[in-house]
Order: sequence, then C-alpha cells, then structure tokens
Amino acid sequence: MADTLTEALSQETAPQTQTLKRRLWYLTGSLLVLALVVWWVLQSMSLRSFWLQTLNGLSFGAVLFFVASGFTLIFGLMRITNLAHGGFYLVGGYIGFSVVGWTGNFALALLAAALGVTVVGLLTERVLLRPIRGLEKPEVLLTIGLTFVLGDLSLAVWGGDPTPVPVPAFLQGPLRIGDFAYPRYRLFVIACAVVVAVILFYIERRTRLGAIVRAGVDDRETVAALGINIKAVFTGVFMFGAFLAGFAGVIGAGFLTLLPGQDFEILLFGLVVVILGGLGSLPGAVLGAILVGLIDSFAKAVVPELSFFTLFAPMALILVLRPQGLLGRVE
Amino acid sequence: MKRVSITARVQLVLLAAGIAFAVVAPYIFNSFIVGLLSLALISGLFAMSVDLLSGYAGLVTLGQAGITAAAAYGVGYMANKVGAGIPAQLLVGLAAGMVASAIFAVMAMRSGGVYFMMITLAQGMIVWGLSIRLYKITGAENGLTGIDRPSFLSEYWQYYWFVLAVVLVCSLMLVIAVRSPFGAAVKGLRESESRMRMLGYNPALQKFYVFMVAGFFASVGGILLVFLNGFISPSAATLAASAMGVLQAILGGIGTLIGPMIGAFIIVGIQNIVSTYLERWPTLMGVIFIVVVLFARKGIVGAISIGWRRWLERREQAASDDSAVDPGDLPDELALESSEPR
Repeated sequence: MADTLTEALSQETAPQTQTLKRRLWYLTGSLLVLALVVWWVLQSMSLRSFWLQTLNGLSFGAVLFFVASGFTLIFGLMRITNLAHGGFYLVGGYIGFSVVGWTGNFALALLAAALGVTVVGLLTERVLLRPIRGLEKPEVLLTIGLTFVLGDLSLAVWGGDPTPVPVPAFLQGPLRIGDFAYPRYRLFVIACAVVVAVILFYIERRTRLGAIVRAGVDDRETVAALGINIKAVFTGVFMFGAFLAGFAGVIGAGFLTLLPGQDFEILLFGLVVVILGGLGSLPGAVLGAILVGLIDSFAKAVVPELSFFTLFAPMALILVLRPQGLLGRVE
Repeated sequence: MKRVSITARVQLVLLAAGIAFAVVAPYIFNSFIVGLLSLALISGLFAMSVDLLSGYAGLVTLGQAGITAAAAYGVGYMANKVGAGIPAQLLVGLAAGMVASAIFAVMAMRSGGVYFMMITLAQGMIVWGLSIRLYKITGAENGLTGIDRPSFLSEYWQYYWFVLAVVLVCSLMLVIAVRSPFGAAVKGLRESESRMRMLGYNPALQKFYVFMVAGFFASVGGILLVFLNGFISPSAATLAASAMGVLQAILGGIGTLIGPMIGAFIIVGIQNIVSTYLERWPTLMGVIFIVVVLFARKGIVGAISIGWRRWLERREQAASDDSAVDPGDLPDELALESSEPR
C-alpha cells in the first residue's frame, strides 16, 4: 500500500515543449546576466575578496535556506503564510543564547531552541490558527500580530543589546588553505545547510511522509479521503517549519548577532527568497537562498548604502517577468 | 421612499456626530489632545487608503507605510537638505509618494491574495531599509528634522483645522471614487477576477489604478504627518506602521470608509494612553491584532450594523409587519475572507 501510494503520487506530468523552450530562454538569459554580473564584480574587486564575498553570501544564504524552507513547506501544504517565521527565528536565537549561557553546550542550545520554537509552533497552529483555518488573509494577519508579540516579549526578556551566541571552540577561528583564511564557523553553517537540504529532499522525494505531503499540496481533500489524518500532517508540518526556524535562529546567531528588529529583517530576506525561488517549492528555496545570500553579500561590499535596495531590483524583475518565481508553479 | 441600507445609515449617523465633534474640538481640549486628534485624523486617512486596497479591492497591503514614508521623506529632503520653499516641498513629497506607488503597483499588479501581501510587505520594508542606509538623503536613524509649517498654520489648532479640512476633502473624494464605475470595478476585483476579465476589464490594470489612487491618499497622509511632527524618521516606514493601518481598518470595519477612521481614533487613543503607563505597546498591539482577527473581523461598523438590523427586525416583528428589512446589505463573506475556490 505504502509503495503504490508513493509511486502513484511521484509520477509527474511531462513538461510541454513550449514551456521547455521558454525555460531554455530563461536559462540562457539568466546565464548571460550572471556572467555579466560576475564580470562586473570581478572588475571592482580582487579575486580573493571575490571568494570571500562568495562564501559570506553562501553562509548567509544557508541561514536563509533554513528559514525559507520551513516557510515554503508550510505554505506549500497548508496555504498558510506564516509571517511569524521571523519571530520564530528570533525567539530560537535567544533561547539558544540562554542555553549556551547556562550550560556552555552549543549542540544542546541548538536542540533546545529548535524544540522550544517547535512548541511555540504547535501552540500557534492549534490554538491561534485552527479557528480560522482556510481564511487565508486573516491567517496572515494573525501571524503578523504574533510577530509583534514575540518580538516585543523577546525584547522584554533578553533586552535590546546586540547579543552574539558563542560558538564551540573547534569552530572558532579561521580555516587556512594556503594563504586563504576563512572563518570555520561559516563553513560549518554552509555544510549544515547542505546536509539539511539533502535530508529534506530525501524526505520529500523518497519517503511515504514526503509523498503524503506532496499529495497534500496538490489535493488535500483526496488525501484525507484516502484515510490519512491530514490535520495531524498539517500540525506536524507546521511544527517542523517552526523547528527549522528555531534551528536557524541559533545557527544564524553564531555569526549574525541577535538584536531586536532582526525578526523583521530575516522575514524580509526569507520572503524575497521565496518570491524569487517560487512559493511552495523546496528547490526554489535553495535557489532563492543562494541568490539572495550572494546578492546581499556582494552588494554590501560594492554599494553598502544600497544593500537593502539591491534586493529590490531582482525581485521587481522576477515579479514582472515571472510572477510565480523561478521554480514556482502557476496556480 | 428609497431604502437606505443599514450599513450606510450607520455610517451616516456616525459621520455626522464625528464631524460635529471634530469641528468644535479645539475649543474643548488642550493642545496635547488636539495634537493627538490631528494624528488620529491623519492615521484615519492612511487607514482609508489601506482599506481602499484591502477592503474594496480585496488586496490586503502590508507596505502602505512605505509610500507614506516616501512622500514624507520627499518633503523632509527638500526642507532639510535643499532648503526649498513649501511649494517645492509639497511637489517633491507628492512626486516621491506617487513614484513609489507606481513602482510598487507595477511589481504587485499581477498578483493577488497572500502573494500580494508578501510583495507589499517586502516593498514597505525595503523603503525602511533605504531610509536607514541612505544616510545622505534620509539622515539614517536620526531622520530629518527642521520641517516647518507655513506661518499661517504654525499654531497647533490652525494646523488641526487644516488637517481636518484636507482629510474631509480626501474622504469625500474617496466616497465619490468608491461609488463611481471605477469603484464598482474595484469591488469587482475583490469578488471575482475571472468574471472581471470576462467583462472586458484588465484586472492587472485595474489593480494598478486602485493602487495609484490609494497611493495618492497615503502620500497626502505622509505629507500631513511630516508637517505635524516636524520630522521624519525610519520608524514611519516599518512593518508596524503598515500593519497598524490594516489593524485600524479591520477594527473599524473593513470595506467601509468610516470604519478605518473610527479604528484609527481608537488605536491612536489606546496607544497614547497605554504608552504613558506601559512600555509594552507592541505586545498589546499584537494581542489586539490577534483578537480582532480571531473574533471581530467585521469590525465596529459591522457589529453596529448587525445590532441595528436585529433591533429593526424585532421591532417589525412586534408590529407584525410583513415587509422584511432589506436583507443582504451586509456581505456575509467579508472581503477579508478569500472568495476564491479552495
């Protein structure tokens, strides 16, 4: 039963030739733009700082991936736009900070923060979102209200000073390859993101759970009719998204200090990631996170004054040319 | 006799009482309260512009404060950095707001629903990011100061009456707009985009128009605000500022014009009373947000309308009159609730 379901659900419809042709155009166009940007960037900086910024961008993108993947999973399945995701991130980071302070154990802090935020997610879904299930816009507005509450309470509990989370000793300091040195912690973050991405892809594509989730994305009623407790799946996915956000909070706080207002910043970056990549698409979250991370990192190096604004241009371009995002599906 | 719908009657009564009160307010209250009333009126205009998009067109915007801030920064830049006169300040302020609206509108016009919310949120926050980073133009965290009102408006009560007049004129324009064919097309966007397309409308273009109209009123609000405070800082463009407009609109009654104004007075009042005793205003605002979304999505105007209708029904039942009160003047499914098939 399990295998037939997995098989039946994993059959994808073949893309039509016209869309293929179109995709080819997009690919060529974006490669050209990419080449141009790389050329322009290399003109204005040395090769060494190019690699430095690339790694900076990838490590920031890694944090964004944790945030955006949970966000996009929740949206894909439940059609809930959880704008409290930035708040989840911030609370996770602060819980991690406290736990590191008490125990000195980074791994424990990661676990505690992720689980703590998972509980917040559970309460959010069961208590706040359940009564207005299916009303898309009220759901979004409610999560905004929740963001204000979470952010302000964090400020009350942890104060407004920028707070770095200390990372374990073996991740401190730079890693040297020849005469090129780069912070170990950031490399660790990139590695983490790769591992998490692989796990997520595996779960989504290869397991029964992933099949149920993918089926739920396409047709919730039929999945429920097949005898699957879709409500439990909803709660589970929401909790998992919150788990990832809490995890991201601690991981990110290792090199982006925690401070009030960061919930909104992370939310903004996360939104741009999913708008670029395509809402509800896991590969889209990967692509979007890499793009946004790189754009932000290079923009900060080349035009620091416009660092936020540089997100605007690619977003505008995508929205005008391809509103569903690079890898998104037309609804 | 032409039947006037109950929602409209509620609005009329509230409106008449409100205007009478507003005109005499400076004779009754001290400068602090009158300043607060000016702020509430401006917030109300802002909330109406939010509601034109969110309630009438069904496009809930979370970035409207970005437009307000753009207009305010336009004024501030001309006053503080260039040292230009009032006409130039007004012109540049309005132009900045309209340019921001046009860019936002082009980006968002092909989307709808939650996607529209996400895009506008990002747009508003990018204005905020710019206002923090573009030190040379915006003065970063310090903002821009030294924005003086023209001499004939320098007294607080003079400016209050000026704000009242501008807001009334703008409200009248909005009333005319939502009752015009344009307004009908805007409501059509909310009800069914596919039907609008079938009738020969271009929904994206309609969205662009309504976004520009809302942007105009948001810009006027921004200009009024910057002259009220005499300064502008990045906090004007935060998500909290945008969300406040949405909260005010829903609390008062989304899809009406008087509702957002009532909501604005209530929220501005609560904020200023609470802030003197309590530090945790954002928490309270968040809680109000959650409570309103969970339990009071029809808002105050909606609640009063329902109460009034029940009262009328009971009275007519008592008189055993057969003629029913006109049904269905209050939409059961509010614009906030998705009407698309799920």
